[in-house]
Amino acid sequence: MTTSTRPGAPLAAIVKYTVRACLPTRRYLLLLPFVGTVLFGLLSQISDEGAATAFARVGATATHTLILPITCLILGDAILGAEVRSGVFAFTWLSPVPFRTIVVGRWLAGLIVAAVVLVPAVAVGAVLAGATASAGPAAVAAMAGSGAYLALFLAIGATFRRPVVWSLALVIIVERLLGAVLAGIAQLSPGWLAQSVLVGLTDVASDLARKGIPLGWAAVGRLVIVAGVGLAIATRRLRRLRPASAAD
Amino acid sequence: MSKATAAARPIGPAPHASDPAFVADATVEVRDASVWFGQKVALSELSCSFGPGVTGLLGPNGAGKSTLMRAITGLVGVNAGHVRVDGRDPRDDRDVHRRIALVPEDEAVPGQLTARQLVRYVAELHGVRGAGPADRAIETVDMLAAADRRLAGFSKGMRQRAKVAAALVTDPTVLVLDEPLNGADPVQRASLIALFRALGADGRTVIVSSHVLSEVERLADRVLVLVHGRLAAAGNHRAIRDAMDDRPRHVLVRADEPRRLAAALLEVDTVAGVSLTDAGLVVTTTRAGDLATAVAPVARRLAVRLREVRPLDDSLESLFRELVR
Repeated sequence: MTTSTRPGAPLAAIVKYTVRACLPTRRYLLLLPFVGTVLFGLLSQISDEGAATAFARVGATATHTLILPITCLILGDAILGAEVRSGVFAFTWLSPVPFRTIVVGRWLAGLIVAAVVLVPAVAVGAVLAGATASAGPAAVAAMAGSGAYLALFLAIGATFRRPVVWSLALVIIVERLLGAVLAGIAQLSPGWLAQSVLVGLTDVASDLARKGIPLGWAAVGRLVIVAGVGLAIATRRLRRLRPASAAD
Repeated sequence: MSKATAAARPIGPAPHASDPAFVADATVEVRDASVWFGQKVALSELSCSFGPGVTGLLGPNGAGKSTLMRAITGLVGVNAGHVRVDGRDPRDDRDVHRRIALVPEDEAVPGQLTARQLVRYVAELHGVRGAGPADRAIETVDMLAAADRRLAGFSKGMRQRAKVAAALVTDPTVLVLDEPLNGADPVQRASLIALFRALGADGRTVIVSSHVLSEVERLADRVLVLVHGRLAAAGNHRAIRDAMDDRPRHVLVRADEPRRLAAALLEVDTVAGVSLTDAGLVVTTTRAGDLATAVAPVARRLAVRLREVRPLDDSLESLFRELVR
């Protein structure tokens, strides 16, 4: 058998495998974020504000605080945590592929699914809200926010035995509660930063974003850094991971 | 020095050549390895080695067999001691995984994938090119007909065979099989046993655990017995039995007049005790060989017809019971 490795082949294999593995058997579940975002887009029409402002306000109260993190939490668990718990991750761990390739492959797969699920949803939501010009910025915010969230949830999945609980704690307690009062936490929060991306890239009042956080592309840059740190932690933690077995 | 290029390191002086826990041409070395999970000690200062051929790993539930196998493959790091595969640490050196494969006992498989997709995935991770090797591995475990069905719908035996195919596709020199025959039907078992023996004969290091002891007797040239995370015995199963000469053995004697025979047998030097059971007389002796030659003359003298004389504890199963007692 030939065992010479083509550069990038394991990465492509991991991405392909992870996309297959993290898609739910009931594919219609993927439509839930779409339904939610579209619903919130329609709700923003009720507001007397301008369409772009109303859509950004929906982003602050629903899209970036609920739909984005919860969708990424489910995906983040599917791309690593669930496999670690079940023992299936051993098939990947027991390979000569470097840990960073495994982590990046799994993250890219999650990002692909997030792009398919969230980007059309927020774009359609913006159109339905009457804020067509916000569709692009909303898509950028969703992608950048997804990238950061997925990296953090990967790090949690590689660190804790109950990643869903810890991920929920991150979103609800750290981001929402502590982030609301501590600017330092909000500075690194994917949810707050995604909102800043939307506000910064659209023509709406900046008070719809958290004060003290960079806006627009600067927020995208901050999200990239958060993603990078999350991926680095996940890679480091994967080295010491003990994938579960039936005996555990 | 990067992990991938780290040189192979021996882990100390070679053990005494006559110690049956070790082999001369070791590919896998375990030295003073301890593993614990919280308060539970899974392996305790275990030392042994494995070389080409098939080695059976035996022990009751919780003996540490799976933990040892996971430590050998690096899935579990040892808390103390060392594990080396070809002189490298499987926990830290990713390159080791080009040569070693594990078939875990868990039923867990990526259920959304077909058997062929799983085997190809593992092949791609190991840089094995093309569909040919995957197809050959699937054919080797006789799964071509079911190769394109989802693993979620597979029985336990089929899942095990799919995992064996995924292990074989990497062409490993060290193959670690944790209860690989679980759930397989008799024909598949015979086929897999023949396959594992062939792999061992081919010079690969094959380590197999099983709770079906008669199969291990058919499978393994060498047996290691684990009890409570420690090595209780090593060698072939008869050698292990010989090492336990001071322990009593039991022989079943079925005869037409068991009570008369029992009374007479109690006068024989080698007989330590006789009990009458529904199955026949169970004779306890410390010298089974001598008993075998003594029973027939006694029966002939009493004109009692012997129907069966059979050692009750010559199987590995009874050996377990002796070791854990």
